Amino acid sequence: MEVNIIENESVITVELKGRMDTAASQEVSGKILPLQEKAENTIVMDCSQLSYISSSGLRLFLALRKSAAVKGGKVVVRNINDDIRTVFMMTGFLNLFQIETA
Amino acid sequence: MAKAKDTIRQIASFQGIMMVLVAAVLLAATSIIQSYYARRGLLMQAEQQASRELTISQLRIEDITDPVEAVVDNTAWMVEMNLSNPDSLHFMLRKILDNNPILADAAIGFAANYYPDKGYWYEPVVARRDNGEYEEMVLGSPSHDYFNLDWYSGTAKTGERKWSEPYYDESAGRTTVITYSSPVRDTEGNIVAVISADLTLEWLAELLQDVQPYPNTYSTLVSQNGQLLVTSSADRTPQDVIEYTRLIESTGWIMSIVIPRNEIFRTVNRLSEFLGLLQLLGLGLLAFIAVRSVKDQSKLEKVRSKKDKLDNELRIAREIQMAMLPKTFPPFPERNDVDLTATIVPAKEVGGDIYDFFIRNDKLFFCIGDVSGKGVPAALVMAVTRSLFRTVSAHEKSPMRIVSSMNESMSEMNDSNMFVTFFCGVLNLNSGHLRYCNAGHNAPLVLADKVERLSVVPNLPLGVMPEMQYEEQDCYLAEGNSLFMYTDGITEAENASREQFGESRAMETLGVGLDVTENQERILSSVKAFVGEAERSDDLTMLIVRYLGADKSKESRRSLVLRNDIQQIPHLAEFILSIADEKHLGNSVATNLNLALEEAVTNVMLYAYPKDTEGIIEIEALIKDNSLIFKVMDSGKPFDPTSVPEVDVTKDLADRPIGGLGIHLVRKIMDEVRYSREDGRNIFTMIKNI
Repeated sequence: MEVNIIENESVITVELKGRMDTAASQEVSGKILPLQEKAENTIVMDCSQLSYISSSGLRLFLALRKSAAVKGGKVVVRNINDDIRTVFMMTGFLNLFQIETA
Repeated sequence: MAKAKDTIRQIASFQGIMMVLVAAVLLAATSIIQSYYARRGLLMQAEQQASRELTISQLRIEDITDPVEAVVDNTAWMVEMNLSNPDSLHFMLRKILDNNPILADAAIGFAANYYPDKGYWYEPVVARRDNGEYEEMVLGSPSHDYFNLDWYSGTAKTGERKWSEPYYDESAGRTTVITYSSPVRDTEGNIVAVISADLTLEWLAELLQDVQPYPNTYSTLVSQNGQLLVTSSADRTPQDVIEYTRLIESTGWIMSIVIPRNEIFRTVNRLSEFLGLLQLLGLGLLAFIAVRSVKDQSKLEKVRSKKDKLDNELRIAREIQMAMLPKTFPPFPERNDVDLTATIVPAKEVGGDIYDFFIRNDKLFFCIGDVSGKGVPAALVMAVTRSLFRTVSAHEKSPMRIVSSMNESMSEMNDSNMFVTFFCGVLNLNSGHLRYCNAGHNAPLVLADKVERLSVVPNLPLGVMPEMQYEEQDCYLAEGNSLFMYTDGITEAENASREQFGESRAMETLGVGLDVTENQERILSSVKAFVGEAERSDDLTMLIVRYLGADKSKESRRSLVLRNDIQQIPHLAEFILSIADEKHLGNSVATNLNLALEEAVTNVMLYAYPKDTEGIIEIEALIKDNSLIFKVMDSGKPFDPTSVPEVDVTKDLADRPIGGLGIHLVRKIMDEVRYSREDGRNIFTMIKNI
C-alpha cells in the first residue's frame, strides 16, 4: 500500500491508498506512528482510496487518537467506504473518531 | 426413611410404656402376671438378639465363601480357554491361592484319560504349606482315586457348583476342609474336569466364639447332611434350652444358637425372690427393659434398612450404568452417510454389557463388549471399560492400539480375574473402509449380499494377559451394508425347554438391505417369541451400523497452507475471493470473511510458534449449501482464542485497550466460533451462515 503525508501548518493529511492488511500495516507503521509526536495538530486520515483495513491498521488509528487526546489535537477520518464503515461500527470506532465525508 | 424409623421408634417406645404401665398395675394385683409379662418380654428380646447374631454370623460366613466361589468360577472359565495348554494349569491354581489367603489348596481333576499322555488320572494341585510356600503336585492314583470323592463326583455328574461336606484332606492340605467345586466344560459343553478349592475351617471356630448373647450360650454349625462342622462348646448336657436356627443358603449349613432358659430369665427369677420388698425396684427394671427393647427395635430396623438400601443401590447402579451409554437414536440425524442403532434390554440382575460410539473426523468409532460375571462388580468393570474406551480412542484411531492399550490398563488392575470380551471398529465414512480388532468377543455378522459372519481373529478378552499381541483386521463395507454386533445374551437366550436362540436363528432373522431399526425390531421380537415365558438371565445387547455410502451431496472442500509469515497474508485474499465467487457472495460479505480469516490467521502467525521458528498454518473451507465452515489449524502452543474476553466497544477512548480487536471482529463477523485441541493441534472453527 501507499502512504503520503502532507504537512500543512497545523493540519497533517495522511493519504492511505490500497489494502491495509496486517503485512501492509507493519510496513507503514514506521511512517504513521511518528505522527504521535505531532498529535497536538489536526491529523486528517484521508481514506478515499483505502479499500480494506484489518485490526493491525485500526491499532495505528487508535494509537494516533490516544496521543491526540493527550496532546489536545484531533484525528479526522475522511471518506471511508461502506465496508470500512462497517468495520468502524463493529469496533465502536465511529464514536471515537470524527468521521467526515467530503 | 428417617421418618419411618422415627415412627417405629415411637411405636416401640409406646409399647415399652404400655408394658411398664400394665406391669405396674399387675404388680400391685398379682406378681404371677407380672412375672409372666416379664418373661414374655425377655423371650422376645432373646429371640431378637439371637436373630441378630445369626444374621451377623451369616454375613461373616458369606464374606468368606462368596469370594471363593467367585474366584473358582472365574478360573473355571480361564481353564476352559486354556484346555489345550495343560502346563498353564498350575499357574492358574496359584492365582486362586494368591487371591484368597484363607484357602489351603486348589485342584483341577480331569475326566479319565482326558490327556492321553498324562494317564488315567490327572489332577494338578497347588497347596499352601505352613511356611507360606506353595507346593505344586500332580495327584491321582489308585490310592487317591478322586473320581469317588464327593467334590469331584457330584459336580462332574450334575454340573452343579457346590460346597462339599467337611472331610479330612490327607493328600494335599492335611487338615479338615470343605471344598467348593465348579465344572469345566469343553466347547461342546461336556464336563471335562472339576476345579475346586479347599477352605480350612479354623476360622469357623473363631467366628462361633464371638457369638455370646447370654452366658453359657453355645452355637453349632451343621452341614447339609447333618454332620457337625464346629461347635463352640464341648459340654452339651441336655438341659432346658431354647434353640434358634438359621439356614445359610450359599453352603447349605444350618447354624444354631442354643441359650439356656434360666439365662434368659435369670433377672426375672431373682426378682421374684425379692418380689415383696422390691416391687418398686422391679418397676424400674422393667422400665429399663423397655428402653432396651426400643434400642433393639431400632437395631433390627437398621438391618432392615440396610437391606432396603442395598436393593436401592443396585437399582441406582443399573441406572448409572445405563445413563453412561448413548441412547438417542438416530444419533447422527445430520449425516446421510451412516445410520446406527443400539440397545440393551436389561435382565433382572445388573449385568456388564457395554456399547459405545462416536464420530471424529468422518470416522465412526464403535465398540461392544461383555464383562464376565454379574452384579455390581460387573457394572463397575463395565463403567471402567467405557471410560477407558473414551479416553484411549480420543487420541488414537487404530482399533488394534485402542484394544491393546485398554488391555494393558485392565490387566494391571485386575485383581479379581474379571475380564471383558470386546470388539472395536473404526469405519471411515468417506470410503467404507472398516478397521477392526477383536478381543475374545463373538464375531459380528455382516449384512451384504447375504448375512455372514465377519472373519475375526478371536484373540483374548481384555484383562487376561497384559502382554497380549492383538491383531487388527480390515474390510470394506459397500453402500447399504450393515454390521450386526451383539453379546451372547442374544444367542444364548433360552426357551422353556432350554434350547438356545443361537447364531443361525439370528442370521435368518436379519434382513439384508433393511433399515437398522427394522433389523433391531426383528431380532428383539424374534428373541421374545422364542424365549416365551422363560426368564431371561442375561442382558440382550446389540449394535447395528449401516454404511450408506460417502455423502455425495456433501460440501466441497478447499484448503490453503501458509507459513507463519505476515507477507503470506495476501494469499488469503485470493483464497477467499475464489470461494466467494463459487458461492456468488457479494463483495462486502467477501471482504468481511477476508477480514475475519485474516484476524484468525494473523493471530496464529504472530503468537503460536516461537519467534524465528518456521511453522505451518492450515486453512480449510467447507462450502455447504447454506453455510461456510472455516478451520484454522496449527501445531503451535495451545491457545484458545474464544477464551479472550469480549472488548467493550462502548468504552471511552482512555479505557480502550489497543489490542483484542482482531478476535472481536472475528466474533462479530462470524455466526459461530469454536476452539478445540486435537492430536496436538489448535483447531479454530468459524461458521458463517449464508
